[in-house]
Amino acid sequence: MMVPVRCFTCGNVVGEHWEEFKTRAKEGDEDPETVLDELGVERHCCRRMLVSHKDLVDIVAPYQ
Amino acid sequence: MQDYEVEFVERGDREARFLVRDITPAFANGIRRAMIADVPTFSVDELRVVENSSVMFDEQIGLRLGLVPLTTPVDEFEVGDTVTLSLDVQGPGREESTETVTAYSGDIVTSDPMVEPADENIPIIDLKPGQRLELEADAVLDRGREHAKHQGGVAVGYRHLQRVEVVGEKGEFEDDEPHILRGVIEEQEAAHASAGSGGEPRNGELVPTEAFDHDLTNRYPGKDLEVVDVPNAFVFHVETDGSLSVDELVTRAVDSLRGRAEELRDAVQL
Amino acid sequence: MSYKCSRCKRDVELDEYGGVRCPYCGHRVLLKERSRDIKDVDVE
Repeated sequence: MMVPVRCFTCGNVVGEHWEEFKTRAKEGDEDPETVLDELGVERHCCRRMLVSHKDLVDIVAPYQ
Repeated sequence: MQDYEVEFVERGDREARFLVRDITPAFANGIRRAMIADVPTFSVDELRVVENSSVMFDEQIGLRLGLVPLTTPVDEFEVGDTVTLSLDVQGPGREESTETVTAYSGDIVTSDPMVEPADENIPIIDLKPGQRLELEADAVLDRGREHAKHQGGVAVGYRHLQRVEVVGEKGEFEDDEPHILRGVIEEQEAAHASAGSGGEPRNGELVPTEAFDHDLTNRYPGKDLEVVDVPNAFVFHVETDGSLSVDELVTRAVDSLRGRAEELRDAVQL
Repeated sequence: MSYKCSRCKRDVELDEYGGVRCPYCGHRVLLKERSRDIKDVDVE
């Protein structure tokens, strides 16, 4: 579905950084590690939120 | 009233680290808990959904809106006060070339400019052609102990300040294993430290362990070390979600603690 | 109750005698439309 607004573990707001992370690391060819460092997503609990996320809205859209 | 010595190691709007001396562990923990559970912040608590033809249920949208941090001005509101927000976003029309329109936290319109989303780029929901989200929301001021969405502090914690003492030279044939340490150290035998990237070593200086990659052997090569906790000195790490600044969060937490201590004193007075 | 036929997409009013069936095309799959009321949601 959509990116989580906050980190499940610590409650830090991670949704804010998703679009930039997506364009730079997922669609672009930058190293996810350096992108996350530059975005200030420091802890590994917040990092996994972005690294492991997949947008599914496009996939479920035809069924509503 | 007793004064306490507070020294900042790192200070930003949303993240800070500071050292407090001469406080008991109980008091340090009291401040930490007050920061998490006692400082009220605004958060969306009720929705009136006019139209929602998106792929998510009303309740899911509500949950996401509740987690968006809202700026909370100090001393302007009381716990239980509400501010009305609204959101109205439509999917792309036929003449638009894009496939989706995303509703962001920045699209939320507020009735009171003092209470607005602290971050503007949080995606709420993607809308396809023909889909629309229109709603009104009430943000309520409440405390973290009522619901985690009202917590202003994120990853709030503290560690003992640690003192590093050089007790001698390392033996010639000893292993050079790394000596990992996290937190902030107070340099005692600075004469034996090597500067590295952590700045010129001086006695009594506070050095965050990131300065030498958390490895004491980088800072004190070839030395035999002893690390001790400095009694009653605590290094706090405070982050906020943006609803308050670190300064506001900490001072309001301490105020609430003092308020309760005074209440207790008055209650037990003969 | 307002429903919509899933085949011909026309609005259908159901009564207790007609059974579940679209009166226009005879299709038996009907979709319930969302009410136009404003819905109150408690965020938990």
